Amino acid sequence: MSTDDMDKSQLAAVLQILKKYNLKGTEELLRKEANLSSNLGDGSLQQSSDVSSVLTGYKSDGDPETYEDCYMELKRFVEGSLDIYKHELGMILYPVLVHMYLELVYNGHTEKAINLMRKFGPEQDPYYQDDLRKLALVTKRDHMNGNELTDTFKSNQFIIRMSRDTLSLLKRHLNDKKASVLLNIIQEHLYFDMYEGVARNKNQIDATSGAVGGEAKRQDNKTKVYYGIPKAPDIQSLAAPVEDEDEAADQDNPDKPKKKKAKKDPLFSKKTKNDPNAPPSDRIPVPDLKDNDKLEKIKAYREASKRVTLGPEYLPSVCCYTLLNANYTVTCAEITEDSSMLAVGFSDSIVKVWTLVPQKLKSMKTAEQLQDVNVDAEDVLARMMDERSGETSRSLYGHAGPVYSVSFSPDRTLLLSCSEDTTIRLWSLQIWTCLVVYKGHMFPVWDVKFSPLGYYFASASYDRTARLWATDHYQPLRLFAGHFSDVDCVQFHPNSNYVATGSSDRRVCLWDCTTGNHVRLMTGHKSPIMSLAFSVCGRFLASAGADCKVLIWDLSHGHLVAELTGHEKAIHALAFSRCGNILVSGGLDCMLKVWDFTKLTEEISSEEVNVSHNPDVRIGDDYLLRSFATKSSPLISLHFTRRNLLLAVGMFDGVPT
Amino acid sequence: MSKSSENELYGTNLSMESMKVIAESIGIGNLPDDAAKELAEDISFKLKHIIQDAAKFVHHSKRTKLMPSDVDAALKVKNLEPQYGFQSSEPLPFRFASGGGRELHFIEEKEVNLNDLLQNLNAKAPLEVSLRSHWLCIDGVQPTIPENPPPVAKNIQKLESVDPINKKPAKETSGKPTTGKQKLRNVETVQIKQLATHELSVEQQLYYKEITEACVGSDEARRAEALQSLASDPGLHEMLPRMCTFIIEGVRVNVVQNNLALLIYLMRMVKALLDNQSLYLEKYLHELIPSVTTCIVSKQLCMRPELDNHWALRDFASRLMSQICKNFNTSTNNIQTRITRMFTNALNQGDKVPLSSLYGALEGLSELGAEVIRIFVLPKLKLIGARIETHLQGSITSNIEKIASEHIKQLLIKVVAPVLKNIKNSPDYVEEYKQEYGYLGPALHAAVLKARTQPTPSTTAACNISTSLTNVSATITRTVGQPSQILQQNTAGPQRTIMMNQTGRVTNQINNQKILFVTQRPPTPGCQPSPQPQQNTVVKFVSNTNTLNQQKMVTAQKLGITHAAQAGQSPISVVSKSSYQQAPTKKPEQMQPPTSIDDLSHLV
Repeated sequence: MSTDDMDKSQLAAVLQILKKYNLKGTEELLRKEANLSSNLGDGSLQQSSDVSSVLTGYKSDGDPETYEDCYMELKRFVEGSLDIYKHELGMILYPVLVHMYLELVYNGHTEKAINLMRKFGPEQDPYYQDDLRKLALVTKRDHMNGNELTDTFKSNQFIIRMSRDTLSLLKRHLNDKKASVLLNIIQEHLYFDMYEGVARNKNQIDATSGAVGGEAKRQDNKTKVYYGIPKAPDIQSLAAPVEDEDEAADQDNPDKPKKKKAKKDPLFSKKTKNDPNAPPSDRIPVPDLKDNDKLEKIKAYREASKRVTLGPEYLPSVCCYTLLNANYTVTCAEITEDSSMLAVGFSDSIVKVWTLVPQKLKSMKTAEQLQDVNVDAEDVLARMMDERSGETSRSLYGHAGPVYSVSFSPDRTLLLSCSEDTTIRLWSLQIWTCLVVYKGHMFPVWDVKFSPLGYYFASASYDRTARLWATDHYQPLRLFAGHFSDVDCVQFHPNSNYVATGSSDRRVCLWDCTTGNHVRLMTGHKSPIMSLAFSVCGRFLASAGADCKVLIWDLSHGHLVAELTGHEKAIHALAFSRCGNILVSGGLDCMLKVWDFTKLTEEISSEEVNVSHNPDVRIGDDYLLRSFATKSSPLISLHFTRRNLLLAVGMFDGVPT
Repeated sequence: MSKSSENELYGTNLSMESMKVIAESIGIGNLPDDAAKELAEDISFKLKHIIQDAAKFVHHSKRTKLMPSDVDAALKVKNLEPQYGFQSSEPLPFRFASGGGRELHFIEEKEVNLNDLLQNLNAKAPLEVSLRSHWLCIDGVQPTIPENPPPVAKNIQKLESVDPINKKPAKETSGKPTTGKQKLRNVETVQIKQLATHELSVEQQLYYKEITEACVGSDEARRAEALQSLASDPGLHEMLPRMCTFIIEGVRVNVVQNNLALLIYLMRMVKALLDNQSLYLEKYLHELIPSVTTCIVSKQLCMRPELDNHWALRDFASRLMSQICKNFNTSTNNIQTRITRMFTNALNQGDKVPLSSLYGALEGLSELGAEVIRIFVLPKLKLIGARIETHLQGSITSNIEKIASEHIKQLLIKVVAPVLKNIKNSPDYVEEYKQEYGYLGPALHAAVLKARTQPTPSTTAACNISTSLTNVSATITRTVGQPSQILQQNTAGPQRTIMMNQTGRVTNQINNQKILFVTQRPPTPGCQPSPQPQQNTVVKFVSNTNTLNQQKMVTAQKLGITHAAQAGQSPISVVSKSSYQQAPTKKPEQMQPPTSIDDLSHLV
């Protein structure tokens, strides 16, 4: 339809409404203004109903009685087909049922719709039951207005991946039957992502289905992702001098005092080679490192050289921090990169910071006192702080609702928090006050994360968007829209070029910070996703959520490679060890589980994969090394120190369940 | 969730009746059916939506239970006014009641005493959130410390003891490190069921030695610590067989030696093990019950039956027995039945049973509850009465038997009177009592009359105290409650103090022990919280008489006075129910104040 036609038909629709409500004056005015002859409105009556059908997508004159038979017919066809095609064909049953139901509801056949749902709802795959229950709430046409789920189904095509053979089988069946109801639905609302090859079996289908909008298209995962970690040139110059220093950043500080002996440490030697998958260093602008940051990096490297390499033979030690007297009030926790501070967000709007080391939390001197500080002194940063103000914990007040996430900046001078009051706040950990309030989200903000390089941060919200911000801009730099439901968690890629989001629509998405486009879309979760973690190498992403499973994704092609089961309640914390060999997960079931990630990656790398060929998903607890129970303390945060000691944060729940 | 219940979730609505009831509650008398139906549908839809959204807030608050604040947040997101005034710091305690074919879910509302609020007495300040760190695991091995859950959960211990065949082979992922041992398994494929070798590590052996020495040693402070450890440490599971053996052998030897003090210590060990929440003792009951029974009914438990207070031991052991019955009685093991039968047999043997054993049997039965007393003790009253009458009235009997008879009489009056009070109707006649219960009749009559005039120990009074004391933690009230009893002994009522010298006698294991043994036995029933116990017995056993002991006693009393003074006048120790707000582990020094007084009454 051309735009001109579209305009006319839309106007016709408006005219029709005006006529219907007998608003003659307005109607005439509109005709006059739009230069429409009076006969247009009448002449395009038929056309206008088409318009509304396009807009709503559910106008149908199909006989309500035929829907059930039609579905039965389809079901019989699916069940009667050959075993190899059966499961792929079965995938269309759920979207067809949903759209039939919505069509019936839209056209006012509530009884029929409920009957249809009663009869066929329970036999759908268990992971669809939640959505079916939500859909079953909608029993009237006006219920559909603004309903998240129905809107999603209405305005998006349900994506089904199907082999060529299966699809032709289905098409033949549809042509034979000529069932208009079914044909309409399949044409309007279903999208078949066809691939060459053998039809998938039930397990393969189950592994990747479950998301609200169906599976991910292959097209979604075709873009190249620079998942590698760029080498950090400036640090090498400090930690282990190498010949090929040619990066611009090095020129600034060639004469660093700390010349570390070039050891044969795999940690450093790995970094000397350029990762072919790493993004160019100037792909995103990053503020220059300050002297202080460099000193910090040197410290981090020295610590890292004392690191224990973990593995099945060398299991981690876990130090558990338990929050007492905090029944139902703690909502989130985070530990700084150097493990010196712990920030905890509470449901009563407070953010509290504890020090985990003997050094107290000091605040900056007053302005008058600061004038006396010698600016040129070596330890000016230390002199700025008031020695007498040290405390073991400090509270930050300002939010007006539960604090759902906190995040430290890499240099530990700033803290971000997000809350139900729709704001994100930036706090200074030197003067212990709020610096900026970022207002952009219109609904509760579920998660906020600082970029590993600082400066940037990302947030996720109830409003179905994730946003990228910079600390010195009060408005977001990028808006990542596309999720069908709340964005529950967000995580920066270690190279800061990408942001991963997990959503209540049960999809994991990877967004490019430079373009704002999504570059990976991964389906397979069956419940909202609550936690994300990137592997140390940057190639893998672990996600976990309310479905008690940890899924491992290969970002090179967006494939699901493993499904780690064992937890019994929602998982809220994931962490990779600093050496990358171990993955740990912790959840509300008061369990900490340690997974062998090396074994997993070794097995994956031995397998050949490409975009179209899905690798077999490894399911089960083969990779589980150990699980540790806490004493009725759900774990809400996990963190590996630089030396690979695992810190866990739990809240003691004294009420036995 | 079953399929049928899932089915019902599609398209369910609130009923029209609910709408009408709600309409009535706001003053709309006759809501038309149509309106009610329309309303019900609309409200159901909206409610479900709000609950859906509230669930999101539950997830993000990292909880599993819905709270009022989540509903508020969901309303706020929908741009609706939140429901003010329904704040709660914990999930709503929904109660369920059914009856007459009707089911009802309701919120239990607590009554708040406004007077207390107004006077701001004992206002409860919320506890500060605090941070505590511990080792969850060290190099992959989880240490057994109180902060960690017990290595073998209680229900698994229970499963093992009930159904040993079902015992799953310890999964590698949850147990000890696998290094080394795993490789052997590849060679040896034949599954041989290993004998249960409960190997103890060096640390455990050391612990066992320390604990057992402390429990029977002379240092009361150490003993208190050791018992505290037995009662709270989660990792004792593996040592349990040894502990039981220690107790059993100890009882066996010391009964023969008539070493009362050691028997008491051993019984306190049993008590501590029973109190340990992480242990499941059922596997060892067949060994423990005979030992405890011995301490109840043995003919002689001490060197000088006429002077030593072996009655306290019998009482304490009886209470242990009733606790065992309460905890472990099942329809398959019938512990309570078997124990009742055992005690009843003693009653049925007539004059052959020594009086001390008779006392034990009676005490054992009376601890098992009013029903047991009614069925097994009441019919025997006449016979027992006749028997003790001869000892109490007759002049030829020895002093020992007289004391025993007196104790039996006191015991029977104490335990039988409340039972009689409940089963007999109000006008009580002495003659009738005499007719029915023989010698004990008049005394029982008097006791029943007294019990009738006294108001029943009202629970409301206790409740008042408990509410006012809830913020005082259990540990504190315990330390307070205990010395205040000592204080009473100094101030109120007639007292009997018996001191005796035991030098020269050879004790079995410990020669230089200094034991103070103080007990308090209010003879009348129903006057437990009575501030004026009528008779107090203070018995001291001193094996080495010297002035030091005297001093100890005095300081202990002083301690008691100061504690009692701090506590005001609250002689009742109340266990705070809301103790979940405390730290998971209490500091041991809080739990057991170092005291040199071996007071059995505080263990009750």
